[in-house]
Amino acid sequence: MDRATTSAASTPHRSALVKRRSKSKSHRQSYRSCSGGAASRIGLTPALTARRLNTSRKAPKSLNITERVNAEHLALLVKTKWKLCYATPLYQFRHTMLKSYARQLSAFIVAEKQRGLAVEVEGAQNHFRASFSVLQGLAEADDPETILIQIHSKPLFSSSEEPQRCVWSGWLSCINGNLDYLHSLPQGFTCLPLFGSSGTEVLTTLVKSWCQKTFDCSFGPLEINYTSLQWFMALLTNCHTESNIQHLKMIWSIPVEPPLQVAFTVSPQDAWELWSSVRTATRDLADPGGCIDFEEVERFTQGLKSHFYRHFRLDLSAGSLKEVSTALGGASINGRVKISNSRYMITTLALLTECALLKMPI
Amino acid sequence: MERASTKGVLGHLSLLETQMRSCRGKHQQLNRTEQLKAKVEALCVQKEQLKVELHTLQRLQKVRSTLDGNGADDEMDDDSENADILQLMAKCARLKDLLHAHHLIGGYDVVKTRQDKGLCITLTTAYEGIYLDTYHLEMDLSPKLRISRHDIPPFIPLNSLVETTTQTALRPFLDFLSQHLNAFTGRKQQLKLVKEQHKSVEVMESNVLCSVLVLLVRVPERKLPVLCILDYTDHSRSLPTGVKFECDDEPPNFEQWKKSCRILLERPVHKALITMKSLGCIV
Amino acid sequence: MNDPGKCLLKRVIRRIPANMLKTTLSHWGRVSDAQLQSVDFTTSKWALTEKLLNICEENELTVKHVTELEMIHVIDYPNLGMWYAFQLFDPDDAAPSVDMTQFKEQFKFHLSKLMRNVSVKIKKHTDEAIWIRVAWGDGFSRPNHMKPTYVVHHLQSSYVFVTRLTSKLKPLLSQALVLSTRYQGIKDANLSGRNLAALRNLLMRQYQQVFSTKFSTPLAEKSENISNPQIEREQAESATKRHQMACEAFGDGVLPQLQSAVYKLETKFRDHNNKTMTDREEPFKCIVKFTSTNLLESLRHCASSGIASTPVTPLLSSVPVKGRNYFVITDNVPGSSSQTNRPQK
Repeated sequence: MDRATTSAASTPHRSALVKRRSKSKSHRQSYRSCSGGAASRIGLTPALTARRLNTSRKAPKSLNITERVNAEHLALLVKTKWKLCYATPLYQFRHTMLKSYARQLSAFIVAEKQRGLAVEVEGAQNHFRASFSVLQGLAEADDPETILIQIHSKPLFSSSEEPQRCVWSGWLSCINGNLDYLHSLPQGFTCLPLFGSSGTEVLTTLVKSWCQKTFDCSFGPLEINYTSLQWFMALLTNCHTESNIQHLKMIWSIPVEPPLQVAFTVSPQDAWELWSSVRTATRDLADPGGCIDFEEVERFTQGLKSHFYRHFRLDLSAGSLKEVSTALGGASINGRVKISNSRYMITTLALLTECALLKMPI
Repeated sequence: MERASTKGVLGHLSLLETQMRSCRGKHQQLNRTEQLKAKVEALCVQKEQLKVELHTLQRLQKVRSTLDGNGADDEMDDDSENADILQLMAKCARLKDLLHAHHLIGGYDVVKTRQDKGLCITLTTAYEGIYLDTYHLEMDLSPKLRISRHDIPPFIPLNSLVETTTQTALRPFLDFLSQHLNAFTGRKQQLKLVKEQHKSVEVMESNVLCSVLVLLVRVPERKLPVLCILDYTDHSRSLPTGVKFECDDEPPNFEQWKKSCRILLERPVHKALITMKSLGCIV
Repeated sequence: MNDPGKCLLKRVIRRIPANMLKTTLSHWGRVSDAQLQSVDFTTSKWALTEKLLNICEENELTVKHVTELEMIHVIDYPNLGMWYAFQLFDPDDAAPSVDMTQFKEQFKFHLSKLMRNVSVKIKKHTDEAIWIRVAWGDGFSRPNHMKPTYVVHHLQSSYVFVTRLTSKLKPLLSQALVLSTRYQGIKDANLSGRNLAALRNLLMRQYQQVFSTKFSTPLAEKSENISNPQIEREQAESATKRHQMACEAFGDGVLPQLQSAVYKLETKFRDHNNKTMTDREEPFKCIVKFTSTNLLESLRHCASSGIASTPVTPLLSSVPVKGRNYFVITDNVPGSSSQTNRPQK
């Protein structure tokens, strides 16, 4: 193991050998090698896992994107709970060829189904229709536009005039992707690292395998780790003055036998007051818009944990944070998110894009 | 994989380099282990020393506090020549305390808990020479005597028992409680024995406190069913305070039933039933 | 049989597990042995229901009889919904001598006086528990047998367990219970869970509690696989102590199966690292809910493994000691009445 790490440092990150030996390590390294920038740089020492993400980020500005984004699309994004994956850069993907992709994907689903694989509904060959569209208005700076994929189908026993229902939706997105990384990509690659899906697992698998085949990319589960969940908590709480968060709820799991779950729900005003008390005063004065430091985020969680400990003498650090949520949205460790308020869509997606880029092998 | 990379001079060199590195690592590790081991031993010795010191200190403090408690006004020097006398005085005080404690708790099984901040009292119950359930009371000593935890069933009116006895009189309280518990387990045991020994008698009703017992017995004539209702109003006794008979038909032989009543009031119910059977009152 | 009767029978048959159906029906005693023999219990529930409906018609059974069957089933399988514990207080002098017959008469009498059109069925179970089934109607409608309330009470025990009771009907039931048990009042015991036996065992203290006594046998120790004997020896003592304290707080062996405990905290935020919040006057409001398949066992493990510090905080040990799983915690202000616990500093 020791040897593998040493060689990883001295080998170019594309080396297949290294990748096989210590996969996760090489991923991080590759992303780090691209992100030389001082501000958004990941921790210097790999041991400090807490600093893998940006250690400082802009406070979420309430952004009225209702004018920029198609209302129907926005409604879909907001009302759905998304299961997230990371996706490696797509090769030879063209935003101009979406119609053709839609045809190909429809055909692919039908073909797979005819092979007797997967799809649950039998004898409904012509009942699956895929559509691709650009979800305009989300992308920032050099980000490629977000792609929305939907699969429509008709229930098995339905009359012909009944319209098709959307049975699966998903999107590929990149919001505020690391510029150094985006620019370092070779010709022909499009980086849309964040893949969200909602619908049956079977269809998700089919869409993924079609993308893999067509764009020579790969997908992997996107866990939202403790650090990111803490960021979520802080960023959402920070919004309270603009839109009421209603509550701040954390779900912790304590590894005892039988497993113990602790749901810790804080009233919105108190959560916000605690948050403002841990913000560094000088920073606020210098820059009213404000950057948020990870140290502040940590102080916030620490405050909550110590309040809990003072009452129950039970150390939450012994367990793991599984889920955080407010009325504005929530995220769980297994990569499920819900963004309930469109105003914080961009901030949230930017954080998730960062998570996906970090998770990505290349 | 290693073999593949050993080809060529450079490969060989890098192999040597890694070997050397790992060698050095091992050596350092060994060195470190030695150091840590030495440190552990040093710490162990130090710990033992501290333990001894702590022990002496504690003993000293104890002696001192007994002294203070007895109102001794002289300050004691650590190297006082009177140490022996003081030791004896402390011992004497301890014995007095024990005697006092015995007056207070009257031979109940009591142990100190939570660094002397609490008491745990064990109450055993027995009926006819057989040990039955054991109950416990955990009490706080300060700021005032208070029951903090117990495993006495909720239908034993513990709170009202506490109210009837005063704060200082722990022993009457324990006596009273023990009587209650013994009576309860006694009644419970009797009920169990009735069910075991008297198959011809049907238990129609009983309750958690075993304070009401309704039995269906049959008289020899025409196997007439008679309800026998036992009422244990005094919960601190295991004998009933009232006995009633109920019968749908003609009133039963008055004299005989009066006698049965007396038997039931005087003897434990399972024994009374045996007597009634032998007298021919019931089947 | 009328329609409500048929509906109820269908539902009861659907709920009784197939392998228990024959036993439950024979227990019911409304179907003759010959009729029972004629039923093929291997067929589908649907066919069985049809067959049984015919038999009930034949025997001229009514909805009342079907409620008996439902009661038998509910007594066998009580853990189907949430049970709530209530506590009777201030007993009359007559309370200790209330017997089953008296209670039955009084309860029916008082409840029917409080509300017309209620149907009450009372059954004594073998473990001396009284089971009451109440189907509620109102001034105009007949009792609704599809939504009955179930009540379990042990005479002279002061605890009552209730399931499926709406808040509207709670005062009526409470009054009838108070009057028929000869108590002065009844209050919420702040204990609820899906497992009726667990609630009962917890309140009646029928589980293995641990006390330190002269004769106590050492608790069965967990074998912790620590490789280094030095460390093991150093830690053994404190581990044993933690284990003892955990057991004293929560009990030993299999513990009553509670699923959750809820704490509503309205206490001051105190943190020496955070002066702003510590200086704040208002309490910090939050709700903490612990859930597990067996909460007490989880908490015991927390304490014995060191995840929770020992001695266990009164907040957690109050669950078994006080027999409650809902708490409102505020800072003790002098002079205020306390339904509250003070967090220990």
